[in-house]
Amino acid sequence: MSAETIFWLFVVSFGASALGGVLGMASGIFIVPILMLFFGIDIHLAIGASIVSVIACSCGSAAPFLKARLTNIRLAVVLEVATTLGALTGVLLIGIIPTEFLYGLFALILVLSALQMLARRREAGSLAPAARSWGTLLRLHSSFPECAAGHDVHYHVSRVPLGLALMYGAGVVSALLGVGSGVLKIPAMDSALRLPLKVSTATSNFMIGVTATASAGAYFMRGNIDIDMAGPVALGSVLGALLGARLLMGIPADRLRLFFVVVLMLLAIVMMLAAFGIRIM
Amino acid sequence: MSESVENERLGRVLAALLRYGTWAASTLIAIGMLSGAASRISGTADAGTLGYGLMKTGVAVLIMLPVARVLVLFGIFLCRRDLAYALISACVLAILGFGVWIGMHS
Repeated sequence: MSAETIFWLFVVSFGASALGGVLGMASGIFIVPILMLFFGIDIHLAIGASIVSVIACSCGSAAPFLKARLTNIRLAVVLEVATTLGALTGVLLIGIIPTEFLYGLFALILVLSALQMLARRREAGSLAPAARSWGTLLRLHSSFPECAAGHDVHYHVSRVPLGLALMYGAGVVSALLGVGSGVLKIPAMDSALRLPLKVSTATSNFMIGVTATASAGAYFMRGNIDIDMAGPVALGSVLGALLGARLLMGIPADRLRLFFVVVLMLLAIVMMLAAFGIRIM
Repeated sequence: MSESVENERLGRVLAALLRYGTWAASTLIAIGMLSGAASRISGTADAGTLGYGLMKTGVAVLIMLPVARVLVLFGIFLCRRDLAYALISACVLAILGFGVWIGMHS
């Protein structure tokens, strides 16, 4: 790979991650389509590079959430059993299922991401816990500091089995597409587990790294991760996530949101066409 | 020590591990990229091999970082005699290990 290509991989990953960071969105969803469309890289190698950048962004951005006590660590460990099992299923499936199916699935996830970006997240409200619920038995109910209220806000974790099932699906998608699957994890946490929004964002971000590692470890050992590609993509993504959001604070979020929705929908169309064997780039 | 104080300390330990681990891996990748670029421009193969090795190490460190995080959690739960969560963490570690095994044998 030429020095020029490596440089552009870094720049594009930095840009995608920085812009995504302004909206609190991980860049993983953009990396695979960008690598395929603009660099002509095979989808399997693109997935390998993207999954490393997903780990980098998750680990690099976890610290503020942990320090603010927003991450429910126990819940994350419990759900990681399901997400990592899902990721292993994805690793086993990726060699069997046709590439066209991956394109189609990617298109679907891109559309879901666009819809999620348009819809405002709402607090589902905590349910009173049953004495023998999984949340109670596993001591998952917790609290987080709410600056506006000036005290800790207590919350309960509901419907853990449903949450585990959804997380398994998120793990499969993460391994198959090389994404963090935040688009599936966050609704599962908001709606199924009924967590406060800040807690679900922090806990989802915390889990994404471990989920991605389950598949990245296998891809790394299989030789499916091209180091010349994964290195600049991971570095660009992590620097973009950490520094980019600060550099781009002046950009109006609403316009950027609309821009991202349009880009996501265009990428979804291109991916769907590729699923039917029509390549436009 | 109260549970919330313990959790705050745990959060700080994990935050430090993930933050410094990410910076260490990123630094390795950055030096590897620069070294690789220098070798391509100057035509020296040694710098290219070194650069590739550093980048590969950086990527491996990134992949190992979440494993280290689960390992730390396993140790802390064990120290707290929270056997249920030590077992759950061990399950996650076993699944991650199984992923590597699948990669080696497929």
